[in-house]
Amino acid sequence: MTALLRYRADLLVRSQRWLAPVLLYAAFVGIGVQAGQPVLDSLGYAAAGLLPVTAWLVQLCVDQEPPAARTVTAAVVGSPRVHLASLLTGLGCAGLLGVAATLVVLLISRPTGHDTTVRVALLPAGIAGLLAAGCCALLGAAVGALCTRPLLLRRGWSVSATVLAALLAVVTSGSPANTAVTGLVTGARTGVVHLPVLPFVVAAALAAAAAALTCRLASLRAE
Amino acid sequence: MLRGVDLDLPPRTLIRVEGANGTGKSTLLRLLAGIDSPSEGRITGRRPRTAYVPERFSAALPFTAAGYLVHLGRIHGLRSSEATDRARSWLARLGAAGHARTPLPELSKGTSQKVAVAQALLAEPELLILDEAWTGLDTAARDELERAVAERVAAGATVVFVDHDPRRLAGSVDAVFRIEGTGLLAAPATRAAGTGTRVRIEAAGPPGAALPAGLPGTPEHTPAADGGVRLTVAATHSDALLRALLTAHPPWHIRRLAAVPGLAESPGDDGPPHRTPTPEAP
Repeated sequence: MTALLRYRADLLVRSQRWLAPVLLYAAFVGIGVQAGQPVLDSLGYAAAGLLPVTAWLVQLCVDQEPPAARTVTAAVVGSPRVHLASLLTGLGCAGLLGVAATLVVLLISRPTGHDTTVRVALLPAGIAGLLAAGCCALLGAAVGALCTRPLLLRRGWSVSATVLAALLAVVTSGSPANTAVTGLVTGARTGVVHLPVLPFVVAAALAAAAAALTCRLASLRAE
Repeated sequence: MLRGVDLDLPPRTLIRVEGANGTGKSTLLRLLAGIDSPSEGRITGRRPRTAYVPERFSAALPFTAAGYLVHLGRIHGLRSSEATDRARSWLARLGAAGHARTPLPELSKGTSQKVAVAQALLAEPELLILDEAWTGLDTAARDELERAVAERVAAGATVVFVDHDPRRLAGSVDAVFRIEGTGLLAAPATRAAGTGTRVRIEAAGPPGAALPAGLPGTPEHTPAADGGVRLTVAATHSDALLRALLTAHPPWHIRRLAAVPGLAESPGDDGPPHRTPTPEAP
């Protein structure tokens, strides 16, 4: 599995297709996060933006091998493992992006709530930010996995479904990503840091279920 | 679509799959290679170390030929240094050593196919699946692939192939299966046809030793003068047969080596006219 992940990661890095989603995310964070804003607000914003970007990255990784090359790797380790390695590579890339964004936000933001007299400790805020980012990345990976090969083979359907599902995952109240982000934003008003542990666990379970389903289907549906 | 297919893949076997276009040969090979799973029924047994060569491998991947092969070698479970060595030697064997540093998208179709063949062979797989793997290769590389297949079979692997050329490995195939409708029928193997060049090897074993069992290419053997044995085998298998004789325990001694034309090419003649000079073995 290590060799396979190394291959997929090298493939992603060299293909330069990661540039578009990474630049989009950098622009999103660059516009929305200004130095001196309340830290929890900015963390929530950065986490929310990670969800659609993760879905995009995961789909890039799933689709980056031409069919002939994919059959060659699938014969060695099996189609499910090839698919799992793609999902993990996309998620890993999004994870790095999330950690980097969280660190930048922690460095440049004001460690208070909206009310400048309420102090917010950076360590719990950072942990909450990482958990929220992880929550959004996992849910984004689930959306990305469910809205492409092997479930949706047509490119048009895949793109529309991904955009819609990513949007719903961010705005629907009750979704783990929405709960985690709302928790941070509310915390900015009250000055209380909520650690989104439960949403993170739920998002991880959803991502694992999506991965299990799509990896199983990967060997059943030939194109 | 295929139904009711029952196929056994014993070790040390070369299997040919035939069928008209669009009957599902590639589907069957993909099932055997473990790329796809059957929607009904199952494939039993431990999953062997498998390698697959697709038809027309033109991979627009951002690697050099050698870089891709090293990645694939590692996925096959080789260490990096081992993968690098084998990638280099297989590219050289197939006549593509000069393209090791060429990016894959810039390779010609034939050289891309050599990369696909190299990735499969460098892993020394237990199960090798070749889907028209010869298509696009030059003559030298085709012959080399035939020899490599014979070597894999001699080393105990199972090789399953599809090829549009009915003479491909004709002298060495152990079993032929034909796809008719949605089923798979066993067809008679045409090993006895004896087309193509054959090689005659005169060898002598230690006094009283019997010929080693399971020799590559199952050669015909007749007693020769002064206690030796004369073995005749399809040229594809000659290297593997020599290796098997020389590395047997105890080893055999090679006395003479000669190419003989295939039976079909020289019907009913005594004393083949095209006999090449027989080099003396060391």
